[in-house]
Amino acid sequence: MKVNAEEKGSKAKKGGNPDDGWEPKIIAFLCNWCSYAGADLAGISRLQYPPNIRVVRVPCSSRVSPYFIIKSLQQGWDGVLVSGCHPGDCHYISGNLVARRRFAVLKDMLDYMGIEPGRVSFSWVSAAEGERFSKVVAEVVEGVKALGPARRLVKVS
Amino acid sequence: MNHKVIAKDGIREFIDGLIEEYRVFAPVEGKKILRLREISSGEEACLDFYNTKMSSKEALFPQNEVLFTYKKDREAIEKEATSPMKREQVLFGVRPCDAKGVTLTDVFFSSGEHRDQPYLEKRDRTAIVGLACNRPLNTCFCTSTGGSPFGKEGMDLLLVDLGERYLVEILTERGERLLGAAHGLRDATEEDMKLAQRLSNEADNAFSKELPTEGLSERLDGMFEDPIWDTIHQKCVGCGICTFVCPTCWCFDVVDEEKANGAIRIRLWDTCQLPLFTLQGSGFNPRPSGKERLRQRVMHKLNYFPKEFGSLACVGCGRCVRECPVNLDIREIIETIMSM
Amino acid sequence: MVGGEDKIREIAGRLLREGEVDLIIGYEKGTLPLRSTPSFIRDQNDLYKLIWDPTCDINLSKYLHGRDEKIGILAKGCDARSIVVCGSEGQIDMGKVVIIGLPCSGVIDRKKIEAEMEGREVLEATFADQSLVIRGEGFEEVLPIKGFMDDSCLSCRHRNPPVYDVLVGEPLPEITGANEYAEVDELESKSAEERWGYFVEEMGSCIRCYSCRNVCPMCYCKECFVDETMPAWFGKTNELTDTIIYHLVRAIHLTGRCVDCGACSRACPMDINLKALTKKAEKIARERFNFEVGLTTEEAPVLGVFKEDDSEEFII
Repeated sequence: MKVNAEEKGSKAKKGGNPDDGWEPKIIAFLCNWCSYAGADLAGISRLQYPPNIRVVRVPCSSRVSPYFIIKSLQQGWDGVLVSGCHPGDCHYISGNLVARRRFAVLKDMLDYMGIEPGRVSFSWVSAAEGERFSKVVAEVVEGVKALGPARRLVKVS
Repeated sequence: MNHKVIAKDGIREFIDGLIEEYRVFAPVEGKKILRLREISSGEEACLDFYNTKMSSKEALFPQNEVLFTYKKDREAIEKEATSPMKREQVLFGVRPCDAKGVTLTDVFFSSGEHRDQPYLEKRDRTAIVGLACNRPLNTCFCTSTGGSPFGKEGMDLLLVDLGERYLVEILTERGERLLGAAHGLRDATEEDMKLAQRLSNEADNAFSKELPTEGLSERLDGMFEDPIWDTIHQKCVGCGICTFVCPTCWCFDVVDEEKANGAIRIRLWDTCQLPLFTLQGSGFNPRPSGKERLRQRVMHKLNYFPKEFGSLACVGCGRCVRECPVNLDIREIIETIMSM
Repeated sequence: MVGGEDKIREIAGRLLREGEVDLIIGYEKGTLPLRSTPSFIRDQNDLYKLIWDPTCDINLSKYLHGRDEKIGILAKGCDARSIVVCGSEGQIDMGKVVIIGLPCSGVIDRKKIEAEMEGREVLEATFADQSLVIRGEGFEEVLPIKGFMDDSCLSCRHRNPPVYDVLVGEPLPEITGANEYAEVDELESKSAEERWGYFVEEMGSCIRCYSCRNVCPMCYCKECFVDETMPAWFGKTNELTDTIIYHLVRAIHLTGRCVDCGACSRACPMDINLKALTKKAEKIARERFNFEVGLTTEEAPVLGVFKEDDSEEFII
């Protein structure tokens, strides 16, 4: 899976100060059946939310391997959001339940190693929750903005 | 006169002098282990030690080095070579086993049609100041592999610790040039030379045992299919530490790491002890189990290389013996083979 | 702990004689002081080689992978748990393994002893009761074994193997009141910045030799994630981010599987504090999923199952 690496070196990074015009870039893995649809609903409903996310549609939140998240951080994404169906509502019955444990372990280990807690976020957003999606994104963007550009795991060479 | 003496107090100053002109690598006491590291002052160098954890191959054949980068677009591929070493370098405080290891590595990287540019470029601009071993470790066996604790192979200068002073033997022109940075040198007296000789004899006699390496290479001929390998390899877990700490293990892997519109090509240390080393694209692996891989390592160092180049590809530094997590001891292997 | 060798030889001898096993895997004296080495015995006449003392640190379960014979294997508490995990993951045929359980009061940490020696070489080491007698050139020192044991042994939860076929001697009383997560707790009490600084420093000396992975009985993947090329997830250089990610992902892969046998830390030539990560992985499995690894072959891997009420406080 190749992330557009040009984004990493783009001018928008600058000094990392929002006052200089730096905007965080956040990659969002959204499950097709709930969160992606929820995001779509937000769009259709003309709800405003920060434009900092780049969406990657996946069939289910359990498709999201920890490798995607870690590699995103390595490639220079300032934040990662993974969103799926609410537990019990997974289109594939239990994908999100399996993923939940995986995400918990990843988040615990990332936190423990010193990656700022606000960088990687997880949420459950259903297809009907357009407004909630826009709120989740706003919250995530605000959190990442406060942390500044991601530097800790970024690959330089 | 090619033997000088420098006071121990003067050594730091000498190193400082070298640092002005060269990049200097010396053993540095890290938080936990001793390793050859670039230093910015003579104070940082540790010269009172048995041996560094990793061999001096780190400075000439780094664990990972960028060979070149390239950019490509629709029309062309544009290669950018890495910039050459700006300053010459000095490896200070290298033990005779490691220095001999460098000469063997030189053979490998310069033999045949393809001379290894990245290695040889560094090697040609590297001087080695050796430090004789007054007291070998129990795990050392350099005398069994054609070396010696006061050996000079591969060095430009050899330092011998005489107590509160070092005897300095000038071995090459480059070594002589290095001494330009030293102050307070005097010619060595007969007394100095006698003391150095006595220490050398003591060191030679300090080895716990001599290994039966006479005729070892020949003995291994024809042993490729011998059932002895079934038992010798049993306890090896294939971790590969032996290859990483070994001064004469030089196998490498080359990988390309993709970037936007191009890639960088990197050379990394590799180990023949992993299954991936000989795994072919078809899925077939000529060395499918630990037995074949261990046999390969032993045969390469003690049979194939000596047959081709005339010297055992082992310098007796003992690092593999110390670091092996299951205490697989190459000295034991040699004794087993020679007792058959 | 010292002694019990006669019992081991007796049990091993009986298993071989009665054809219950074709091979005994145990410990014998190493070629260096303070070292033991794995012993592979098929013949009654070789049984005298088997030893049992605080130098027997190696996790022998690594040797069970890929073997088809009936094997009698000496296992401390941690080793037996490794065998159980590998059995429950289908890597070892438990029907072909006879676990000779060793109640263990701890193994020595050679790195601690080396540090104590301050550069002096150890030429000889013997055990006498609760002490370790070290001899070198011109010196002799008597050290208390307890002061030089592996940290994990000091807070060991399973001095007696939880699963075994035959036990050597009487079970030992288990340790109570020791906080095995003391180091992890201390790191957790620091700020993210401080923790990052700690791991940057520890991992800075990693030479990507993969010995930690290669000695681990739980790392048996035919293709390790770090070797994958299509796609190549993470780089193999020792640029800090690549190295930290290798260790991070390995620790994640070990969550709910690591039994804290210490093989990785002992193997690491750079003396990296790998326990700081592996212990955290173990702690996550226990605290989040109430799961203690290696007690029964009926267990399912922690990341392979789920509960309806798994904690999700981290979800927005």
